[in-house]
Amino acid sequence: MKLSTALNRENRGIVATVLGIVILLPLGASIVGFVFSGRSEVPDVFLERADPRWETCVQAPEYMRFYHMDFLKEVREDVVRRGIKGGVTLSGCGDCHRNRNQFCDRCHDAASVILDCYGCHFYPETDAERVAGEG
Amino acid sequence: MDRRDFIRRSGTLLAGASGALSLPVLSSCTSEVVDAQSLLAGKRMGMVIDLTKCPSDCTACLDACRHENNVAFHDDARWDVHWIRKVNIRPKEEGEGHEEKTVLLMCNHCDDPPCAQVCPVQATYKREDGIVLVDHHRCIGCRYCMIACPYNARFFNYKESEEWPNKDYPKRSHGVAESCNFCAHLVDQGKQPACVQACREAGAGALTFGDLNDSQSEIAGLVAESSVKRIREDWGTEPKVYYIGL
Amino acid sequence: MDVQFAKIEGRSTAYYVTVSLLAAFGVAGFVATMVMHRHGLYLSGMSNRVPWGLQIAMAIFYIGLSAGSLVVSGLYGVFGKMEYKPFARIAAYLAMLFLIAGLLSIFTDQGRIDRVFTKPFTYVNATSMFSINPALYSGHIMICVLYLWALFKEKGTLTKITSLVVVLWAIGTHTGTGAIFAFVPRELYNSALLPPSFVAAALSSGAALMILVIVGLFKFTNRHLDDELIIWMGRRLLSIFLVVTFYVLLIENAHRAYLAYSHEAGMFFLFGGIHSFMFWIGLIGIGCVVPAILLFVRHTGTSVKWTVFASTLVVIGVLFERFLIVIPGLIHPPELFPGWEITGTAVEGIAAYHISYLEVLQTLGVIGVIGFAFVVGLKLMPLAPTQAKWSTPEEQTAVAAASAKALRPLRA
Repeated sequence: MKLSTALNRENRGIVATVLGIVILLPLGASIVGFVFSGRSEVPDVFLERADPRWETCVQAPEYMRFYHMDFLKEVREDVVRRGIKGGVTLSGCGDCHRNRNQFCDRCHDAASVILDCYGCHFYPETDAERVAGEG
Repeated sequence: MDRRDFIRRSGTLLAGASGALSLPVLSSCTSEVVDAQSLLAGKRMGMVIDLTKCPSDCTACLDACRHENNVAFHDDARWDVHWIRKVNIRPKEEGEGHEEKTVLLMCNHCDDPPCAQVCPVQATYKREDGIVLVDHHRCIGCRYCMIACPYNARFFNYKESEEWPNKDYPKRSHGVAESCNFCAHLVDQGKQPACVQACREAGAGALTFGDLNDSQSEIAGLVAESSVKRIREDWGTEPKVYYIGL
Repeated sequence: MDVQFAKIEGRSTAYYVTVSLLAAFGVAGFVATMVMHRHGLYLSGMSNRVPWGLQIAMAIFYIGLSAGSLVVSGLYGVFGKMEYKPFARIAAYLAMLFLIAGLLSIFTDQGRIDRVFTKPFTYVNATSMFSINPALYSGHIMICVLYLWALFKEKGTLTKITSLVVVLWAIGTHTGTGAIFAFVPRELYNSALLPPSFVAAALSSGAALMILVIVGLFKFTNRHLDDELIIWMGRRLLSIFLVVTFYVLLIENAHRAYLAYSHEAGMFFLFGGIHSFMFWIGLIGIGCVVPAILLFVRHTGTSVKWTVFASTLVVIGVLFERFLIVIPGLIHPPELFPGWEITGTAVEGIAAYHISYLEVLQTLGVIGVIGFAFVVGLKLMPLAPTQAKWSTPEEQTAVAAASAKALRPLRA
């Protein structure tokens, strides 16, 4: 017996339903999340340019905007695996970009990219508030 | 043109023209350049623990380690993390010259580390200077390294840790394994590990840390001149933590 | 001999109850995993001394059970016993599901589940058994899919080739799974006999599970099954696998207890606590000796009911064996200072492991997922044969001639 006859019309209905649910579930979930989270506005990524200190950032703003994840990964590999301290630290970002919610979380929330840094790393001002609030 | 500069220029070049995929390729090329001129090559960091100088009631090194590295402590023996711990050993057979001793146990930073051999993601690895450490960013929490370590020196963060006395060093999220890393972040700044500093400040001076390959160093002299032992040398893991008076 | 396959009807209340129950198990396991992922693995019974628990034991148990396809495809594809062809589809499908179950168990056991889909692929460590084994498992799954496809499409030559490849690959899979433990420097783990004993126990449990599934399936669907098929599998296969398993276990433990350097650990395993009861009663008694006697004695060995009973015992015994591979080697402390005993610390000494309810839920979840896939698969695909008949010697000769003819294109 062939597989094509095995999947006759009735079974095709079941298979199509299951596949449809599997494929549409993430889409549906994100639509529901989008509607109910109220994060419909995409933040202005060029907001930081208003600060005159942007010229002294560790890299060019254009580069950081698109490749900060790769840049940070390179720094991370240097520091953790090769023992090279380049002076760039995650906490150091907070010296200029005081508020993490404004600097990191806003965009990451809008783009639905989970930020996995600050479960362990310290962000000076925001975390000081957080620790104080918890304590 | 140094490396940062190189990345910066090529990054700017690439930014408009190519997709994000090209950068990992680029960084894999540049990392080889750095490896060749690594600062760590040729070193072999180790520690000598002089048990004859170690008072059995002193916990200076343990406290300093917890403070420096934000080691998780939940007050529950099942989940507490110990980078360095103190145990008492007693001879099984009573006799002359067999009295109870206090021993410091920690990661032995083996030359052939079984934990690094079995890590499926190369999160646990041996650095070029011989320090065995965990890259917490990569660890998937499979706990195979804890199975493989015959010294029971590796621990797992079963619970989210809120211990954060030292803000310059990250705290720990749950789900990653870890062990002593000779305070690699301090060693890279040219300092001594926290336990060694604390031991010296406490006046005991039982711990010595340094480069075993450097014949001028204090530690190389100690290893050459004193009667040193390592724990279970017969296992062939070549530990780099030496004990005097074990 | 032409074998007909048909889907099961799947309209009875019992069928729907089974499907919903398995789905509920799956959901419960998913919830348990998410809770553990959110709050940390301290919710399991594991600790810093016993970092692997029920999930890993179940994972290697499932991997072992997938050997059922090895047995059947070996009989049919490699040794040309055509009367076992009716079971080939079920065996291949079940093997695929059990390998998925093994991967699911390992997956849900990780501390950082969110990284499992990226890091192991980016940073492969070729010396790690945990890097090699998932490759073996997923390769095995793919070969099972190909085998299944060849069986569905009735492709003679491809079936022969894939069934041979499945046999070879499965031996690699089971050896590799044993090597996860054997290649680790712990006194109760590092034994070169562990991979062979894993393969032997896998063959026992795989054959026993095939007997259970086949008998159960034919009983519930009221299809015709010749008793001789089951009795032959029990007396000629399972009994021999049991003897080999028993032999390898005997040598492994005798070797460990005999040598001075591992004597203490070996005696701890054999006579040192609750796991020793599991070993002697659960594994040696229930898992090896009793079923072997049942199968070898003519009166019980030629009865399908007794064969099914013996197979159930074997599956339970091998479950104990898997638990005994993982846990005792961890609760036994390594001897750091020979001649000295360690006192006054929280970490050293003999540890304990208690299974937590969330781990049980996770295990039920994995069983639910693959059970659901199996039961629904029976309804959607023609996996089960309409009947399975034992062939007479004349028929066997004819079948052998036919299969020789089928192989001729290969030789040309």
